Amino acid sequence: MLGELLSRRVVFVAGKGGSGKTTISAALALLAARAGRRVLCIEVDAKGDLSRSLGSPPVGFTPRVVQPNISVLALHPEESLQEYLRLYFKVPRITRLTPLARVFDFVATGVPGAKDMLIVGKIAYEAKRSGSDGPMWDLIIVDSTATGHVVPQLGAPRAMRELTRGGIIRSQTEWIDALLTDQRRTLMTICALPEEMPVVEALELAERVRGEANVTIGACFLNCTFPVSITPRYVAMLNRLADSKLAGVSAERLGGDVASVVQGVRLAQQLYDRSQQYARRLRSAMNAPVVEITLEAGARPGLSATRAVAARIGEASR
Amino acid sequence: MSTPAMSVDLVEHLADREIIVVCGSGGVGKTTISAALGMAVAATQQKRVIVLTVDPARRLATALGLRSIGTDPVTIDPARLRRLGLRPRGELVAAMLDMKSTWDRMIERYAPTRESARRILANPFYKGISNTFIGSQDYMAMEELYELHSGREYDCVIIDTPPTRNALDFLEAPNRISDFVGGRLLMWLARPSLIGWRAVNFAAAPFLRIADRLLGSDVLEELAEFVREVQGLYSGVQERARSVYRLLRSADTGFVVVTTLEPQPFGEAEFFCTKLREYSMPLRAVVVNRVLPAALLDPAGVTAATTLMEDRGVARWMGEQLGERITPDVPRHLGGAFLTLHRLAERNEKQVSRLSRLGQVPVTRLPLAERDISDLAALAQLAAWLQGKGLEAA
Repeated sequence: MLGELLSRRVVFVAGKGGSGKTTISAALALLAARAGRRVLCIEVDAKGDLSRSLGSPPVGFTPRVVQPNISVLALHPEESLQEYLRLYFKVPRITRLTPLARVFDFVATGVPGAKDMLIVGKIAYEAKRSGSDGPMWDLIIVDSTATGHVVPQLGAPRAMRELTRGGIIRSQTEWIDALLTDQRRTLMTICALPEEMPVVEALELAERVRGEANVTIGACFLNCTFPVSITPRYVAMLNRLADSKLAGVSAERLGGDVASVVQGVRLAQQLYDRSQQYARRLRSAMNAPVVEITLEAGARPGLSATRAVAARIGEASR
Repeated sequence: MSTPAMSVDLVEHLADREIIVVCGSGGVGKTTISAALGMAVAATQQKRVIVLTVDPARRLATALGLRSIGTDPVTIDPARLRRLGLRPRGELVAAMLDMKSTWDRMIERYAPTRESARRILANPFYKGISNTFIGSQDYMAMEELYELHSGREYDCVIIDTPPTRNALDFLEAPNRISDFVGGRLLMWLARPSLIGWRAVNFAAAPFLRIADRLLGSDVLEELAEFVREVQGLYSGVQERARSVYRLLRSADTGFVVVTTLEPQPFGEAEFFCTKLREYSMPLRAVVVNRVLPAALLDPAGVTAATTLMEDRGVARWMGEQLGERITPDVPRHLGGAFLTLHRLAERNEKQVSRLSRLGQVPVTRLPLAERDISDLAALAQLAAWLQGKGLEAA
């Protein structure tokens, strides 16, 4: 699974808000860089979290090296347009030229999918970009927009083509669409949590990504699964230690009251059970490898948490 | 947790509100809490309650005992509520926000002529704008809220807000839509003839040429045509946006912020509460969802769990007490499981001291449900909790 992902040119990481997209993106970047690939991470809904997960302060639209072989950029549609115009029309930076800023506003709000197009276009541009020897980046990892908006985003090139007649954009949308829908070059991964709604949404997203955007799903990451296996039998044993006959002896032997532990462990058993149940459900319905990433209790997002997740992905794909 | 249990009856507390706006970051349980709140209101008050959801997920429908929630309001069969031991005094109705038809209705309402409305609805750009316009979903939720409220068909309208990236998107939505429709940009584009304008405005000409080369000729022209039509909506939309703000600020409305104690959603809730104050919108209550049991913070429990996890002789001792063979895995897993949750509870506890910063309003804490809320019975349990019933000192 991991080898599959890391050998592509573009990997999207999608899923509901809070499902762990950013950490997974960062962890995949670490793994790819370790395998000697030059990685560009693109943060689409830029809040600076992706660079933080890679141990760096927030970055801007210009790629910045944050780890050996890893650069990050934060994608803003407006800057993307400026860059586009600079590249293809030799228009100088236009911050001071209000008419074009207005044209941007106009195009961005008025033309369906224009903003999405600028996002997808920038991603494709970076994929095509070449450095001194060969392509600038081996792999581009995209920490995608939250919720299902990633589907219309990926469909933007096609939507654009329907609205424009001729024009430069028309021909450009064609190769972008070809890149995104080619499973040898582009894969999507989906993040989920071991809860009902996130799992349902992950499955729905997978269906739409395949059906509407025509992009292949490479893997699904089930984040925050309960890390310690607890069976009802274990809980029952502890419960007996806590009952009236043994409570006194147990408290003495263990150095504390067992009743609280019983309460906690009951909850743990349910959480563990839920994790297992949702992992099974994803495995049977996702049609892609499912990787469980256990809950790092109390871990703060940052480079060390990212490393831990990378290690788990590494183990899981061995 | 450490503070004394305060059993607020949230339903009682919100009794005079005709509109309840439930907000918070994604994944904290807004939709479920809205539904449970609706159920509690219908159970205890002689009111017709509608829960308007923006979340198309089928789960809520299942939880409410419906096959699906459509855009037409559906009444929850009172017999089903009675079977759960509730004696509903009111009526519970659920509906999903229908973006497309709300937009369409808005166009029909504010277009100066029927002919103009027809032209807008038929325009290829219309669909795109209604889909991509930032905050469109937020505004449409408010538009629908306003309609439902002024329709007087329901005594109480409960809405869960769209999963916005930013709280501001929601609060700014009415302003944004009227800015959009009446914005200077559109004014500029809507001049009688773009071609004529091109000829006179030397400075902008190169940009229009670029737009033509990019998009193909005529596209800009068509867009300008569309924009001219949309202009006709301006005064109506602006007036409505003002009314929406008035309604949201009135005593009829109550905002309920939902959060968990996880650092990230909690931070967003704090931000949102600050913004509500800035916008003079009435925060009436805070619901803290998925609170872990206080037992996880019990120091005696931590000691016992640590012994279970680390003491090598403990498996044998357990075996002797229980009269069966116990592998070392058993105590290690038991202790480890407790300590894992203990660390989570500790991390969440940090947020508890910051709760008062959200505002001087009642705070309802809901325990982490043992099962997912997936049927009416579970929803009824949640509804009881919202009324402060059956909550231990959590």
